[in-house]
Amino acid sequence: MSTSTTGAKRLGSSSGNPLIRAEGIWKIFGKNADRVIGTADAELSRAELRTKTGCVAAVRNVSFEVWPGEVFVVMGLSGSGKSTLVRTLIRLIEPTAGRVEIDGHDVTQASRDELLQLRRHTSSMVFQHFGLLAHRSVIDNVAFGLEVQGKSKAERLARAGEVLKLVGLEDAANQFPNELSGGMQQRVGLARAFAVDPKVMLYDEPFSALDPLIRRDMQDEVIRLQHETGKTMVFITHDLPEALRLGDRIAIMRDGRVVQLGTPEDLVGSPADDYVSNFVRDIPRSHVLTLRWIMREPAAGEADGPTLDVSTTVRNAVPVIAASERPVCAVENGRVVGVVDKEAVLMAIAGEGD
Amino acid sequence: MAVAGAAAQSLPSSLPAPWWRGRPGAAVLVVAGMLLSYFGWKHHWAWPAALEWNSFSPHLDRFQAWLSNNRNLPHPNIAFRIFNGFANFLDDLVSWLTRLFYYLKWSGTTALGTLVVLRFGGRKAALGTLAAFASFATLGLWDNSVQTFALMFAAVGMSLAVGMPLGVLAGRSATFNRAITPILDAMQIVPAFAYLMPVVILFSVGPGAAVVTTMIYAVPPAIRITALGIRGVAPNTVEAATALGATRWQVLSKVQLPLARRMLLLSVNQTILFALSMVVIAGLIGGTGLGDAVTNGLYTDPAFAIFAGAAIVIMAIALDRATEAMANRTDPAQRHLTAHKAHVLRAYTAACALVVVAAVVLGHVFGAGTVWSRWTAQDWLRTYVQRALDYIQNPGTFLFRNLTNPTGNFLVQHGIQPLRTFFIETPWPATFAGLVLIAFLLSGLRRAAIAAAMLFIVGLVGEWANAMDTFSQVLVATVLTVIVGLAIGVWAAESRTVSRVVRPVNDVLQTLPQLVYIIPFIYLMPVSGVPGVVASVLYASPVMIRLVQRGIEDVSPESVEAATSFGATRAQVLLKVKIPLARDAIMLGVNQAIIMVLAVVVIGGLVGSGALGYEVAQGLQRNAFGQGVIASIAILALGIALDRVTQGRGAAGARSES
Amino acid sequence: MRGRKLAAVAGVLAVGAAAVLVVGSAGARSKASCGTVTLNEQAWAGSTANTYVAKAVLEGMGCKVKITQIAEIPVYQALANGKTDAVLEDWQHVDQYKQYISKQHTVVAGGPNGVVGHIGWYIPTYLMKAHPEFATWKGLKGKESLFKSPESGSQGMFLGGDPSYVQKDAQLIQALGLNFKFVSVGAEPAQVARWSQLYKQKKAVIFYWYTPQYLNTEYQLSEVKLPPRFKGCQDDAKSGGNVKQYKCAYDNTIIEKVFSKKFAGGGSPAYPVLKRFSWSNQDQEIVAKWIAGDHMNPDKAGKKWVAANKAKVNKWLGK
Repeated sequence: MSTSTTGAKRLGSSSGNPLIRAEGIWKIFGKNADRVIGTADAELSRAELRTKTGCVAAVRNVSFEVWPGEVFVVMGLSGSGKSTLVRTLIRLIEPTAGRVEIDGHDVTQASRDELLQLRRHTSSMVFQHFGLLAHRSVIDNVAFGLEVQGKSKAERLARAGEVLKLVGLEDAANQFPNELSGGMQQRVGLARAFAVDPKVMLYDEPFSALDPLIRRDMQDEVIRLQHETGKTMVFITHDLPEALRLGDRIAIMRDGRVVQLGTPEDLVGSPADDYVSNFVRDIPRSHVLTLRWIMREPAAGEADGPTLDVSTTVRNAVPVIAASERPVCAVENGRVVGVVDKEAVLMAIAGEGD
Repeated sequence: MAVAGAAAQSLPSSLPAPWWRGRPGAAVLVVAGMLLSYFGWKHHWAWPAALEWNSFSPHLDRFQAWLSNNRNLPHPNIAFRIFNGFANFLDDLVSWLTRLFYYLKWSGTTALGTLVVLRFGGRKAALGTLAAFASFATLGLWDNSVQTFALMFAAVGMSLAVGMPLGVLAGRSATFNRAITPILDAMQIVPAFAYLMPVVILFSVGPGAAVVTTMIYAVPPAIRITALGIRGVAPNTVEAATALGATRWQVLSKVQLPLARRMLLLSVNQTILFALSMVVIAGLIGGTGLGDAVTNGLYTDPAFAIFAGAAIVIMAIALDRATEAMANRTDPAQRHLTAHKAHVLRAYTAACALVVVAAVVLGHVFGAGTVWSRWTAQDWLRTYVQRALDYIQNPGTFLFRNLTNPTGNFLVQHGIQPLRTFFIETPWPATFAGLVLIAFLLSGLRRAAIAAAMLFIVGLVGEWANAMDTFSQVLVATVLTVIVGLAIGVWAAESRTVSRVVRPVNDVLQTLPQLVYIIPFIYLMPVSGVPGVVASVLYASPVMIRLVQRGIEDVSPESVEAATSFGATRAQVLLKVKIPLARDAIMLGVNQAIIMVLAVVVIGGLVGSGALGYEVAQGLQRNAFGQGVIASIAILALGIALDRVTQGRGAAGARSES
Repeated sequence: MRGRKLAAVAGVLAVGAAAVLVVGSAGARSKASCGTVTLNEQAWAGSTANTYVAKAVLEGMGCKVKITQIAEIPVYQALANGKTDAVLEDWQHVDQYKQYISKQHTVVAGGPNGVVGHIGWYIPTYLMKAHPEFATWKGLKGKESLFKSPESGSQGMFLGGDPSYVQKDAQLIQALGLNFKFVSVGAEPAQVARWSQLYKQKKAVIFYWYTPQYLNTEYQLSEVKLPPRFKGCQDDAKSGGNVKQYKCAYDNTIIEKVFSKKFAGGGSPAYPVLKRFSWSNQDQEIVAKWIAGDHMNPDKAGKKWVAANKAKVNKWLGK
C-alpha cells in the first residue's frame, strides 16, 4: 500500500522520535473492567459485552504515534470512543490498559507530580463546551493555566495579553465569558491553551458547538496558528470535512476501535471497509486526491508534458490536464515522479459516488 | 447509553396492554389480597411477641441513667468535660451576641441589619429587613427576637462550620456521600424529642444545648446543598482546570468553590430556615427568645403564642429574602466585578459602616433602649386575635357547625378510621408481604428488600400496631397533600397571579411553628387524628406545590409548542404533555411529602393523633427515654421504607447509571 | 489584595475570639450575698403563678431573679449543673428523685409547696345533675355510648390528659371493664379546648382532670368517684404491668419544691426563703387566673398578691 510511503512523506519535518506514542489503549467502564482485557470477552461486540458483564468498552486496543508538528485527527461518530481516547492521553480518564508516552515521558506510569507537570507544561487542551470559568474575566481565564503553575500576576497577565492579541480578542480582555458569542468563547479557550506554550495541543471537538460559518473561521484560525507556531495537535471531531481539512493523518474510530488510519487521500482513495467508504462516499474525490494518487510511471518519452506539483489535487489539476495534449508530469522536488493523463483524471472523478 | 436504558424500561408501559397486566394492575391485586385477608382473618394475627425484642427499651433507660450519673460526678471524666466545654463555649457565644445587640441599642441593631442587607442584597431586601424590625417592635417582641436571632446566628454559624466542609467532601467523593446520606436522613427524620434528653445530659440546658439541638437538624441541609453546589459546577470547567495541571486543592479553591458560591449561599439560606424551625423545640431546653414564648404562651396565653409565631415567620422570611438577594447579587459568575466597580463598592461599604456607627453613637447619646420597648401595638392586636380565637372556640358558629366539624367527622369516619382499622387488624404477614410486594412493583427488588428490613425492624422493636396506626394517618395526610399540591402547583404554574399569591403563603406555612398554626384546628376539628393530619398537610404541601410547579414550568416550550401546533387545547396540553413530562418532579414531590408528613408526626402526637408521635412525646415528657427512642426508630424505619417504596424505578435506573 | 483580605478576616476572627474569651471569663460570676437567683417556670399557669410570686418576694429582698423556661424532665439536668436554682412546683417525678436526689446528690428536695394536687375523672356538673348515677364509676357502666364520638365509633370516648402528666386511665378503663375508648388529645391546652367545646354545647364528656387549675373557677365540673385506694395501688402506668394494680382512684399529689444542690449549699439568703415558700390551692388559683384568664402581666400579678398577703410573705421571710 501507498499508505506508509505517502504518510511518511508528508511528515518530512519529523525528526527521529514521535512526540506521542499510544500503545494498546483500552478503556472499559464498569465494575471489574480490568478483568475483561485479555479474555475472550474483550472480543465481544459492545452490546454483547454490556449484556454479559455490564461493562462498556469505550476504547479498545488503540495504538498510534503522532509526530512533531503533525495534525493528527481522530474522527468518529458520537459514542465511538474518540473523546475518551484523547482524555486517556493525559489521564483525565485513566486508561484500563495500555501505555502512553508523551515527549519521551511515560504518562501511564507518571506520579501525581509528574502528571501535573506534564499537564502544566507539555500539553494543553481545548474543550467542546469551552470549560471557561464564568467568575473570571477573559484575561483571567486565559491566565488560568499560568496561575495554576504559580507564575506571578504580572507575568501571567503579560503573557495572557499577548495570546489574546494572537487570537484577536485583545479588546475583550475585561469582559466575562457569558458576554461573548460561542465563537469568541472558544477563542478564549484556544488562547488559554496557547498561553502555557505547550508542545502538544489536544482538541476535543472544539468547534462542533459552533455555527458552520464560525466553525470555518475557527478552522482557519487553527490552521493559521498551527502554521505560525508549529504545534503538534491531536484533534477530535465527528465532522469528516473538518477532519480532511485539518488532518495530516486521520484515525477513524468505530465502537472503540480504529478502523482505518491514514492520510485523507488514503481514506478517500482506498477506504478500508464499508464503514469508511460509506463515510467518504459524499466527499468529492477530486477535492482530496492528489496527483500522487492517480499518477503512473511515465512511459518512455512521456515526461515532457506540462508539470504540476505532485501534491496538487485532481480538481486543481483538471484545467491544465484538459488543456494539454500530452500527459501532465507530476513533479516532486524538481524531479518528475510520474505522469497523469486524461483517462486517469476521468477515472478518479468517475469513481465519485460509488 | 443511559437514554437507551431508560427508554427500554419505559417501553412496556407505553404498549397498549390491558391495565390489569401492568404494574398498577398487580398493585391493585396485592391490595385486594390484603383486603381479603383482612375480612378473613382480622384480629387474628397481631405481631407475635416472639418476634419482639423487649429488653431494648430498659437497656436504653439504663444507658441514659448511666450517662447522667457519670456526667454529674463531682469530677466527670475528660469526655464529659469536653462536652461541657463545648456547651460553655456555645453559651458564651450566644450571650456575647445578645449583649452585642444590646450594646448596639435598638437603633444600632436596626442600622446594622438593614445596611448589611442593603450593601450586599440591594434595596428591596433591605426594605424587607427594615420592615421585619418594625414588626418586632410593633408586636412588642423586640427582646425575644434579638435573643432568638443571637441563638440562630450561633446555631447557623456552627452548622455551617460543620456542614460546609463535610458538604465539600460529599460533593467531591461519591463514596463519602453515599456513606453519610443515611446518617443525614436519620438526623432529619428522627424527632428532636427523642434526643433532647441525651443532649441535655451531655450539654446541660441553656443556649448551648439549644444550639446543639438545632445543629442536629440544620447540619444536614448545609451538607446536602453544599455537596449539590460542588457537584453542580459544570464538569467541563473542572476538567479544563485539571487538564491545565491544577491540583485538587487548586480545582477546589479556584474553580469549584467560586462557581458554587451561589449554591453555598443558598445553603446558608436553607440552614437558617431549618434552624428557625427548631426554635420552639430549643425553647424547651433553655433556648430563650421567641421559642419559649410560643411554648409557654400555648398554655397560658394563646394570642401571645400566635404573636411569637408571627415574629418567627417574619424573621424567617426576612432572612430568606435577604440571604437569597445576597446570594444572587454577589454571585461572581453574574456580577462581573471590575476594578472600578470594586472601588465603588468599597466606598459604599465604608459609608454603610459609618452610618451604623452613627446609629450606635446616637443611640448612646440619646439614651435609646437596649431593646425597643416604647410603643407597641401588642395590646391593640391582642383584642383582635383574642376575638378571632373566641370565635373559633365557640362551637355554636356557622364555621364550626356547618363546615369544619362535618368535614372533620367525614375525614375520620371515611378516611382515618377505616384505614387505621384495616392496617392494624389485617394479619401482619399479609400487611407485611403486601407492602413489600408493592415496593417491589413500584421500585424494584433492592428497594423492596430495604423496605422489608425496615418493616421488620418496626415489628421487632414492638411498635407494629402503633406504626400501622401512624402509617394510616400518614397515608391520609399524604393523599391529601398530593391532591392539594397537584391542584395548587399546577394552577400556580399556569397562572402568574396564583404563583405570586402562593409563594408567601408557602413561606408562612413552612416557617410558622406547627404548634401555632395547629391552634385553630384543635378548636375547629373533632377530637381525632384530624388536627394532626391537617398539620401534616399544611406543612408538607408547600414542598409538593413547589416541586409540581417547577416540574411543570420546566417542561420544554418546544413540547408545548408542538402540542399546540396540533391543535391541543390548554387542558389537553396540560394533561397530555405537561403533567406526564413533569412526572419525575411530581413523584419527587410525593416522596418528599411523605417524609415531611412523618416529620410532624410528633406534633400530631401532641394534639391527639396518638400512636408513635404520642410515644415519642411521652418519651421526653415522662422520662421514658427508651420508649421515645424506640418509637423514633419505628418512625425512622417507616420513613425509610416509605421513601424507598416511593422512589420509583426511574430513580433506581438513573442512580445505577451514574 | 487577596493577602490583605485574608489578614482582615483573620483579624476579625481574632478579635471575635478574644471577645468570646473576655465575655466567657466575665460569665463566671461569683455569688455574692443574694446575687442572682434562677427560677424555672413550667409551662402551665399554676407554675407561672408560683414563680412570679416568688420572684416578687425575692426582688423585695434585693435579689436579682432570672427565669428559665425548661421542660419538666430536662430541668433536672439544669438543677444538677446549677443552671437553674429552683423549681417551685414539681408533680412528683419519682424517677428523677431517685436518680438526682438519692443517687447523685446533685439536687435536693425542698419540701412541699403547700398545694395539693388531685387527679381524677371529671364530667360537667350539668351532666351530673341529669345523671346522678355518674357520681361513681359504676354508674357509667352500660351508659358509655352516651359519650361516643366519630373517633371512638360505637364506644364512649374518654379524653386523656397531657402526655407529660402522671396517668393510668387506659389501664383503669380496662380494669373496670368499661366500654370507653381512651383518646389522647395531647397537651393540656388541646385537652382544655376539647372538653370546653363539648361543655359549651352542653354535650356529654368525660375526661382526665385535676386541681388546682384556674379553669375550675370558670367551669362547673364534678368528679366521678373511682374505686378506693388499696395497698400497692399504682398511679403511674408508665411502668406497664398488670392492669389490676391500677384499679383505684388517684392518690392526692403533694406538690414538691426541688433545689439545685449548688444553690442549697451556696449560702444564698434566698434559699431559706424559698424553702419556707408555701401557699394554698386557692392562693395559686387566684394568681393563675389573673395571669392566664385575665392576661395580667405576671410580674404585676406576683406583686399584687405579695402586697395583699403580707402575713404569708413575712412568714416566708422569717420575720
